[in-house]
Amino acid sequence: MNHCVPDFETDDDYLFPATSSSKRHKKSAMGDEDIMELLWQNGQVVMQSQNQRSAGNKKSETMPSTAGREIRSGGIEEETTPCNLFMQEDEMVSWLHYPSDDNSLDLYLRNNDILYPVLPSSAPATTVPSSLPPPPPPLITVPPPRPPIPPLKRVEEEPIQPKFANFSHFSRPNKGVLTGSGPSSSNQISQAITQSTVVESNIGCRGSMSSFGGAGTSSAGTGREPETFDVSASSSPGTGGSGASASVEPSSQKPPPATDDRKRKGRDTDDTECYSEDLEFEYHDPKKKSRGSTSSTKRSRAAEVHNLSERRRRDRINEKMKALQELIPRCNKSDKASMLDEAIEYLKSLQMQVQMMSMGYSMVPMMLPGVQRYMPPMAAMGMGMGMGMGMDHVGMNRGMVPYPSVLPGPPLPNSAAHLGQRFAVPRFQMAQVPIMGPSRGEAAANLSDPMMNSFPVQNANQPRVPFADPYQQCHGLPQTQLAQQQAQHQAQQQDQRGMAAITSKPSSSKDVRYPQRHPTG
Amino acid sequence: MSNRRPASSTPRITDEQIIELVSKLQQLLPELRNRRSNKASASKVLQETCNYVRSLHKEVDDLSDRLSQLLSTIDNDSPQASIIRSLINQ
Repeated sequence: MNHCVPDFETDDDYLFPATSSSKRHKKSAMGDEDIMELLWQNGQVVMQSQNQRSAGNKKSETMPSTAGREIRSGGIEEETTPCNLFMQEDEMVSWLHYPSDDNSLDLYLRNNDILYPVLPSSAPATTVPSSLPPPPPPLITVPPPRPPIPPLKRVEEEPIQPKFANFSHFSRPNKGVLTGSGPSSSNQISQAITQSTVVESNIGCRGSMSSFGGAGTSSAGTGREPETFDVSASSSPGTGGSGASASVEPSSQKPPPATDDRKRKGRDTDDTECYSEDLEFEYHDPKKKSRGSTSSTKRSRAAEVHNLSERRRRDRINEKMKALQELIPRCNKSDKASMLDEAIEYLKSLQMQVQMMSMGYSMVPMMLPGVQRYMPPMAAMGMGMGMGMGMDHVGMNRGMVPYPSVLPGPPLPNSAAHLGQRFAVPRFQMAQVPIMGPSRGEAAANLSDPMMNSFPVQNANQPRVPFADPYQQCHGLPQTQLAQQQAQHQAQQQDQRGMAAITSKPSSSKDVRYPQRHPTG
Repeated sequence: MSNRRPASSTPRITDEQIIELVSKLQQLLPELRNRRSNKASASKVLQETCNYVRSLHKEVDDLSDRLSQLLSTIDNDSPQASIIRSLINQ
């Protein structure tokens, strides 16, 4: 193989200028067993591995619209013998013919694919090209990887630089996909397993390369490249050990065709850099191979992937909990349950607040003297709400507290007491009372004084009971608000029974507090 | 609170408690309330809660603005004004 290497290198120089930039032919003498050729065409990387079974088929798959080509190129095998090209100078020459024509290149690649299967039979020398299917994929798994490229570079020998460029594109999206592809992870795992094994083999064994070729091409063809990458990436960290073990396997797995040795040997060092991309490509190849052999590894990888996905899910939930915690004012709880508890309370209070505000907003324009007439009916409705018997005491001129939803009348002090258990309500209610006063005439006048007196109280209450505080109070000191309410009521109410009604119904008010749509009707 | 959960008192919080809390939260959310309750995952419920809280905040701000506008249009000494002020100061 060594002798081939120099050939290859010279050929590369020779080829590069001759060939279009899009096409790069890379040969990797992976080992003695397989020689993988990575052919990079515009936008496509064609991996040809010695492993004819995988290489030939996969190649077609990976290459877009290559399937047809392959068939066609099958007949061209003799002439192309691209694998042979790499092997020897004359091969290179024949390969040179192709570069001018992309199509021909494809054909060439195809031929290689096809050749691969044929190679073993045709000639051991040709096996080298067949070994093309880059081992890179397995390499990827071996190094930890999320970024398959670095590991690829290390392991992969094939000078697939151009290819790498292409593959990196593939690999990147794969990374993202990895997180999302739970179901595919199992497939990937197997792939990764194959890959890891392949990688190992690449490093040491050409045989593995062939397996890669087979596995990689197959996967590539199916468009699972991204998956394989991801799998390998995700699994590689976990399966580093398996990768190591895989290395052992590959060596034994693939009997190196003679030709492979030629290519491989010289390549190892050169190709490793290039392989980063190739590895990605090779990902698919190894998959196949290792599938059968490493079921236990597969399971462990599956478990790993499961753990990873589980962890990711938990992280997502924790992140959302943190976001929620930031939204809730004055939430100093660190534990989940109490934080959720507070979130629930806060959400309810927010809903209530919005309700009150929108109600007030629509009611203020309505607070005209004319509205007074509708109070008694409202009062009746309010009583239906269970707001309390105090209403009739409070007076017909008092409206009902439209508890949370619908009553248009101004809230009664009694009702306010009930609502008062919520932060906003008491104040609201207090404000309502004065409105009634002026509109009522002497009845109002009677009330107005107490109202006026209550105003300072009320105003004082407002700053004292900001939104957040009532929320807190609801948590810890519901009675405090109730007491405030009572004080206010006493100040303004001439009727003590209202107070009794209020005080007697703390529980009911509490119950009333929570229903979001209280059936006032 | 009547519905205070005992979870906070116990050192270990069981999953059932969490699940219960999440389901209660789900009941409060308008979008998720109509669905079958078990459908939403915790992650989704939390996400919806955050969104809902933010929208409620926005609504409160919006209402406050409107109320303060209304306040400017009416006589400051009127009872309505005080009501509005109370609403805004919540």
